[in-house]
Amino acid sequence: MDYVYTILILIGLFVILASSFDLVIGHCGLISIAHPIFYAIGAYVSAMLAKEAAVPIPLAILCGGAAAFVSSVLVALPSLRVSGDYLLIASIGFQLGLIEFAKHIHSIGGAGGLTNIPPFLVNDYGRLSYVALVLAVAVLTVLFVRWLTHGPYGRMMAAMRDDELAFSMLGRNAIWLKVSVFAIGSGIAGVAGGLYAHYFRFLEPDQFGLLQSSAILTMVVVGGMRTTMGPVIGAIVLQILPQAITFFGLPPSILGPLQGLMFSGLVLFFMFARPQGLLAAPDIWAGRKAKAGEPRGLAKGGLADG
Amino acid sequence: MMNVTVISQILWTSIATSSYFVLFAVAFALILKVNKVFNFAQAGMMSCGFYAAYVAVRVLELPGPFGFAAAVAGGAAMAFLLERFGFSVLRHRRASPMFVFIFTIIASQFIAYFMMMIFGTWPTTIFASMFWPVTLVGEVAVSAWDVPAIGATVAVLVGLWAFLRYTRYGQFMIAVADNADLAELYGIRKDRVLMVAMLAAGVIVGIGMFLYGTRAQVQPSAATELMLFAVAATVLGGIGNIWGAALAAVVLGVVQNSSILFIPSAWQGFLLYAFLFFAIVLFPSGFHLPERSKKLKRTVAAPVVATDGKGD
Amino acid sequence: MVDVLTVSGLEKRFGGIVVADNIELALVKGRVLGLIGPNGAGKTSFFNLVCGVVKPDAGSIVLAGQEINSLPIRERARMGLARTWQNLRLFQSLSVLDNLMLGPRAYCADNLFNVMLRPGHVTGAERDSRDRAYAILERTGLADIAQSPIRDITFGQQKLVGVARALMNDAQCLLLDEPMAGVEGQAYALIQRVVRDIAASGVAICVVEHNVAFIRDLCDEGVFMFAGKVLARGTVESLIADPQLTELYFGT
Repeated sequence: MDYVYTILILIGLFVILASSFDLVIGHCGLISIAHPIFYAIGAYVSAMLAKEAAVPIPLAILCGGAAAFVSSVLVALPSLRVSGDYLLIASIGFQLGLIEFAKHIHSIGGAGGLTNIPPFLVNDYGRLSYVALVLAVAVLTVLFVRWLTHGPYGRMMAAMRDDELAFSMLGRNAIWLKVSVFAIGSGIAGVAGGLYAHYFRFLEPDQFGLLQSSAILTMVVVGGMRTTMGPVIGAIVLQILPQAITFFGLPPSILGPLQGLMFSGLVLFFMFARPQGLLAAPDIWAGRKAKAGEPRGLAKGGLADG
Repeated sequence: MMNVTVISQILWTSIATSSYFVLFAVAFALILKVNKVFNFAQAGMMSCGFYAAYVAVRVLELPGPFGFAAAVAGGAAMAFLLERFGFSVLRHRRASPMFVFIFTIIASQFIAYFMMMIFGTWPTTIFASMFWPVTLVGEVAVSAWDVPAIGATVAVLVGLWAFLRYTRYGQFMIAVADNADLAELYGIRKDRVLMVAMLAAGVIVGIGMFLYGTRAQVQPSAATELMLFAVAATVLGGIGNIWGAALAAVVLGVVQNSSILFIPSAWQGFLLYAFLFFAIVLFPSGFHLPERSKKLKRTVAAPVVATDGKGD
Repeated sequence: MVDVLTVSGLEKRFGGIVVADNIELALVKGRVLGLIGPNGAGKTSFFNLVCGVVKPDAGSIVLAGQEINSLPIRERARMGLARTWQNLRLFQSLSVLDNLMLGPRAYCADNLFNVMLRPGHVTGAERDSRDRAYAILERTGLADIAQSPIRDITFGQQKLVGVARALMNDAQCLLLDEPMAGVEGQAYALIQRVVRDIAASGVAICVVEHNVAFIRDLCDEGVFMFAGKVLARGTVESLIADPQLTELYFGT
């Protein structure tokens, strides 16, 4: 049963990661794959606060999210001021550099990893309570992303993706929008990191590298970018598939590469065979339905024949 | 310890070792300039070049020159596959830059895992021994690897320069780099030119990996790190400037090697990422500002978009 | 005669090409100025310089008494500078209405803090700007297609949407880049009437247009540009009648 709980928790965490990553890469169109590093920042900050400073764990997790939020602004601001391409390079540099850095810092466990992270909930209320917590946060994340992208903020993101120059000429601040969305997505990933740390109670720098990046990217691309349920389905499918092949009893030297091959092969397959992913996003942005009583909803707005 | 001999030794060694960095940077910058793609799949081309040479020399036990030819062929073959079945398909589908970027990064991972499945994760080299006989020039030790490596790099650079300047396809490449749509209007076949650019990058990368693999150990994941060095050099050299990237690669190579004097060797790996990050923050437009070309691009871009819009 | 936008000594060159050569120009409140000149005369570049899309090499641009040379594009827009684009630049993945909804100087979701913590405030602002958008759509005859995606409407309607989106800014100064190119019939008369109405409401307007008849019917005054220089300023009739300018216009 513990095994099932662990899988459920991983699914929940990856739903959070994939959904928040879709906000950044899909809805806002920011090219970055450094999402795992903000997951890592959240995890390490939360773990260290709880372990060394005895900060109450819920607060520590929130601090982890805040740390991820702030550090993502520091990465995004200088690079986005120049151009979108630079965010990609700066964020990869930041991700791999910070991992390399963490490996040499003994106080956070170095390359060997950080152990004995204080547990949360599990000892008092059992594992199921933690499953409930993670799944609740996952549902909240999905609903939040849906709310944000279907409101006036989502309209801005859609317009900016279409034409950044015309967008600026209307008086909108494209850089600020990008930095904000990047920070929101990264902050959510940071919270997921905290949730990870206090359940698995062990962190090592290498687990937040490019393999993790491509796993999250796969979930979003395979599930379907810019859809509410796409990243959710992607996270579920891609969390269960690799579990399935562990039953074949392959040696670890084969298993690792095989999983990587599967992830990347699946993305390549989808990119060329079904680029929109399992669920296709509509190509016209649709906001929340205008509430009854608001002026002229559909009365005059019959769609012209295309 | 800090005397002239030590410093000149470090300088010499780091210039020699930056030879392959230069090649990787030049290939990356070429594709960025002509094909307008951050080709992260270059790591895949690099792995392919290395393992082709490895198979030729270590498995089939062919002599060194065959290994060299295999590295070149391996790099070019992977470049062909990527362009033919990847980039050109995405281009014709008018895929967004985001999509192309995801393709490059995932393709390079796919190739890395594929190589891991076949060759394992253990580091290997092209020749059984990595040790090259050393002669003393003055007080500086010069290995038998250094001079051919520098020579090969210079030859590639001169060759590329001549290719871009004097051959038809080289000229086409410049034209496509300046304005692909305009070049097409003049009857230049863009697809073919972009393929030639990819093949050129594949050849350059293959030579670079042969040099690297005869001097250091390589495992499937190593190519990514080597490529990031090229990315940093390309950014520092001023995006779109091939020779700037080459120069930046030498500077980075020298700085990284001479850092032994100042920082513990364990931190040397970290230095690369620090370069990458600070290249963006401190030198966002490279050492010398490519102001003019940037603005020109903008003015010619407008009418191109206009025709696109009307075509819908 | 109130100058809304004053440009003086404006210079810009790209390599060897001069697109702005010591341009001196003022746009006056309530009047429509037409820019005439052959292709490559620097008309659109003038717009780009004024809007901040391109930074000038020298010169000053003053909008409503404030020097705007160093301001980014968005700040100029927020001061009441609006424009349309030669190639429209509408948001293809938004409906006509949503294209307009992004146009106000202050957008309801500009402030993330409000979006997150004062959703009621945002909804209210959203409702207000929807009402305004509908008023403008009504005026431009687009109300019936408010919900249509851009790609489903005709080219003439798209041109109108471009103008309507710029109107959302409630601008002091409006730059129209070839509003008539490719437009025929009903939309032609409509655009002409709308532009006159806006001018009458006290907006300074500048129009780039190749359609000389349109310029003559619409503009209070014309300016002839060639090779980045303002060669002549006067009534549109006098510019058209000048044989030297006609020679330049058709001679290239």
